[in-house]
Amino acid sequence: MNSPMPASPDSAAPPASAWVRFLRSYGPTPTNLNLYDEHVTGALGRAKVKPITLSSPLLEKIKERVASGKPGSILIAGTAGDGKTYHCRSLWSFLGGADKEWSNDSTVKMLTLADGRRAVFVKDLSELSDDQSDEALALMEQTVFGGVDNSIVVAAANHGQILKRLGDLGIREKREHPLRKHIQDAFLLSGTPMDRLAIFDLSHTTHRSSLEEVLKAVSGHEEWDHCGRCTRQWDGRVCPIAENRTRLLGAADGGVFARRLGDLVEVARLNGSHLPVRDMLALVSNMILGHKGKDTKEGLMACSDIARIQDAGTVNKGSLYDNVFGANLPRRRAIDRPVFKALASFGIGDETTNSADGLLVYGNDDAKLAPSFARLVANDSVYGATAAFIAMQKQYLEGEDSARVDGGAGEFLELLVAQRRRLFFTLPDADSDYGHWGMTAFRFAGDYLAMSTALIAKKAMDESTREMLVRGLNRVMTGLLIDNADKIFVASSGGFTQSKVSVLCDTEAPSRRTGGVGLIVKHDPQTERPLLDIALAPGSGNSVTFSLTPVRFEFLCRVAEGALPGSFSNECLEDMLAFKAKLLRKAELIRIQRGAEDEEEAGFGDGALTLKFIEIEQNGHGFSRPVTVRIDA
Amino acid sequence: MRPTIEKVDFAVDEHIWGHRLYDEQLPHLAVLEFLGVLGSNLDNPLLAGADGKVKYQPQHQIRLRGLLFNNPYVESVRDKDISDDDKWTAWKEHFAQDSTKMGDEDMDYLREVFTKFDDFAKAIELLRSSAFEARSNKRWSSKFVFPFGPDALFEDLRVDSGGAANDRRFFARTGELLYLMLSRAKRGPELGQKLVERLFERSVPMNRLVRALQGPVQTAPNPREVGYLPYAKHPRFDVMCDDWLAILSRDMPIYDALDHLITSAGLNLLLYFLECAKVTAGDVEPVEFVCEIVSRERTKVRALSGDSYQSNQALSQRAIKASVESIKLTDEWANALKSDYPDAECAKLMRARFQWPSADGGDDGEGGGKSGNELVKRLADRAEARHDQHVGKIHAAWAKSIGLSSRRLARRMRYAPNDRLLKTMVLTLVTNRMQFDEFLHVAKKRYGLVIGDAEGARLVKDKKVDQEALSENQSNLESRLVGLGLVRKLSDSCSFVENPFGSGEEE
Repeated sequence: MNSPMPASPDSAAPPASAWVRFLRSYGPTPTNLNLYDEHVTGALGRAKVKPITLSSPLLEKIKERVASGKPGSILIAGTAGDGKTYHCRSLWSFLGGADKEWSNDSTVKMLTLADGRRAVFVKDLSELSDDQSDEALALMEQTVFGGVDNSIVVAAANHGQILKRLGDLGIREKREHPLRKHIQDAFLLSGTPMDRLAIFDLSHTTHRSSLEEVLKAVSGHEEWDHCGRCTRQWDGRVCPIAENRTRLLGAADGGVFARRLGDLVEVARLNGSHLPVRDMLALVSNMILGHKGKDTKEGLMACSDIARIQDAGTVNKGSLYDNVFGANLPRRRAIDRPVFKALASFGIGDETTNSADGLLVYGNDDAKLAPSFARLVANDSVYGATAAFIAMQKQYLEGEDSARVDGGAGEFLELLVAQRRRLFFTLPDADSDYGHWGMTAFRFAGDYLAMSTALIAKKAMDESTREMLVRGLNRVMTGLLIDNADKIFVASSGGFTQSKVSVLCDTEAPSRRTGGVGLIVKHDPQTERPLLDIALAPGSGNSVTFSLTPVRFEFLCRVAEGALPGSFSNECLEDMLAFKAKLLRKAELIRIQRGAEDEEEAGFGDGALTLKFIEIEQNGHGFSRPVTVRIDA
Repeated sequence: MRPTIEKVDFAVDEHIWGHRLYDEQLPHLAVLEFLGVLGSNLDNPLLAGADGKVKYQPQHQIRLRGLLFNNPYVESVRDKDISDDDKWTAWKEHFAQDSTKMGDEDMDYLREVFTKFDDFAKAIELLRSSAFEARSNKRWSSKFVFPFGPDALFEDLRVDSGGAANDRRFFARTGELLYLMLSRAKRGPELGQKLVERLFERSVPMNRLVRALQGPVQTAPNPREVGYLPYAKHPRFDVMCDDWLAILSRDMPIYDALDHLITSAGLNLLLYFLECAKVTAGDVEPVEFVCEIVSRERTKVRALSGDSYQSNQALSQRAIKASVESIKLTDEWANALKSDYPDAECAKLMRARFQWPSADGGDDGEGGGKSGNELVKRLADRAEARHDQHVGKIHAAWAKSIGLSSRRLARRMRYAPNDRLLKTMVLTLVTNRMQFDEFLHVAKKRYGLVIGDAEGARLVKDKKVDQEALSENQSNLESRLVGLGLVRKLSDSCSFVENPFGSGEEE
């Protein structure tokens, strides 16, 4: 192979090392927790590389709002890492503020706008003393309620911070602060927006597209071109950093990795785990640079480590698939980060199916499994069936007993975990034998995402998914193993609604909305999730809704398959019992209303009472059998 | 002038707490007894008469309870492969053997009520499934049907060859006191109306089923008066009344609300018990429950919550002693000691206050020739001994029954609220939503619960625990409530407690 570089390959600094070092500063190291924006700006200056730029659609809206001259103030809210300081700083520059003035020590900054108004910037409410914050909040109140038009306040704060400050101020002034409720409602997505207080909540803005953008911005960055000149990749040697980056770009697998990762983040978001932009950057940085070796500083590689890693043969410890879950970080540091905590909830690496594990353990040996093994595991010599893996596998299967019992299989089992992770990201989409969602704790997440997409596009959802939901609902409602997909039993046991087995059928609702009664599954734009809407009588106000997060969906599907309600998630069971109680209450109210309208319905003069007991046929089909009880008045 | 309590050897506990609170009458039994009193006063619920007295005549419903709890033959007869007529005949024979002969001699009316024997069996099974303590080994006449409506209420009885009587074993008047307490609260009558509306509806299906089984109502032979409650007013009565009104206003089925009413009554009655004890013993500090939120790791808060439990456990004994000995501090006592016959004068004072020693010397030969101080000591010993048997066990029994105390993962009992209690608290205190910090603040103010570092500031100041331990305790509670679907986390430092049965309007 030609080697045009005259100098010895091992002594010169690798050409992309400045860029890689800069990328490390985004990674989940213990140091960069607060003052993130300043920290990164500093690192950028030192590295002398082009920065990573991301679009911020909300920033455009904020700029528009100020430029429009509308009176009132602006509140930029979000959690740590959402980009509050970044947005504030960008707005400051856009309006003509000086960089030097921004980076000085003052906590409250003034700026005169082009139209003569005075803008008061508070880049972090938590930095202010009680007096300063009272003053700023008083000014904000005046611009919103007091008709003050010549000033605007631009404040950035955490959700909890601003509510606490307003609450404390209210206590000091012995009144309920007028801004507090409006702001609280805006955070909780209820209530009506106020004209004179524009609230931009950054925690609601990150979606699948944000992750895609971050992935592209980092893995497609021009600074990677330097790697083309790097000697570490000669002679067929593999640089784990370059390998990871290439896989992220998705040329070889058609973008499957990025799509699956996006699915995970989306499911986590719909489960309530919000991922701020800072965490996404940390995730991408960790994915590319993570390495499990003990010698790797803080778990993140630098260009100078590569030669050593290659010589020691531990390239596979830098596997992209392990890095996604922070396997390269000490457990404490990983759990502290919201992104790794959210991804860990999928249990990828620990969850598995019999067929997947069978493939990984016996695949090389078994003639029947060999073709699949070759197709799915051995096709990847860097992170899949490496020489080390094959050797360990052989040792496990054919070695002495000590290779299997008393913890002797520990090393092989660790490799197995890594392989399971890899399988999640590489199993083909419609593979009939091996489904990738089976490698996670959310086996039905794929169905969930498909359903969500269909509902948003106002198309019909998959019929078998719908049946599963209805079956799961019925099983939870009644506590019986009934199989009905045609109707939903709203059942009770006569007494408390929370009893495990409820055989008394209060009402039945068709599983498909007919005549204004029954179940409808639709998309809720406010919560961005699918919604179950069960109407017990025609007309508005007669239905009860239940928001379907991925966890709840998973719960219903598992119960439909036969799991006991209490075993998968107690939280979901509680949610479902609350839903059941609401349905029973709604039924009760409807009956009372009907009783008031229809004189004959008031059953006291009636000599009979009908109780509907739920029974099950041999095939699992449930029906309600009426039992008549004769009563003398 | 203290009223005289009948049928007691002496009256000490009675004047501190009333006649009476009883350990074996757990909160659900107190509420059932309460409903019985309410059932006799539907026209003016929770309103005392002009003479301040409340009377009631509870129901017995012997047939109903016999069918449900003294009737093990239904399943075996139902499963026999014989005709419907034969089943009825066979069952009738079995049942007649054990019948009480108090209105349950002729059960043929059941054949008119149910078309088939199997339907009858199903109805019995249904009612048993929602009964209180159906499977316990209590006597059958102490098992209770769920209070679906007025026909499902009856009082606890001892049934034997002599007849049926309330031996005050499980309906020991605590429910009667509950009735008096709520009627003396400011909003008592309002609560009374609401309860009547929602729990005394004859026409609801389950009540009609109960009625079908029972037939005509059977009541106690005579009306009776409720027990004695020393306080015409007490802040705890109002707190409990407000709590009950809050629970009833939530958008949930009434039968679910009942469960929460029971827990709420238990918590408030327990607090009343401890508060009165403290006041009598001269302690002005409010009652506190330092709670550990059980988590996987052992925390310093566990030890503190155990200490808190022990200290509350000892309160009532101290109150008894203080109450008896307080007579020595009165002017009358000082005068009696200076009089010509101090022993007799002291005995007279004791009798007036404690109904002891009895005027005729009594069976135990007391009263003759003992000095005032000796009498006080004697009474204190006897009162403490009697207190230990039942009233002294109230704290332990009721705290366990409402889910406030537990021995889980610990060597001794301590305060560790369980899921059910936490749910009741949220449903009671939160109309729609409330910030988490505020929730903790209200829980401390209303129930004395100390969980987080803000409420436990005093403990931190006294160096009994460090702030971090309490802070972790607080965040454990937050996670627990998230798991129960009661808390929504907005971001790292901001979370809201939400009532899933809130009315939906903004608070």
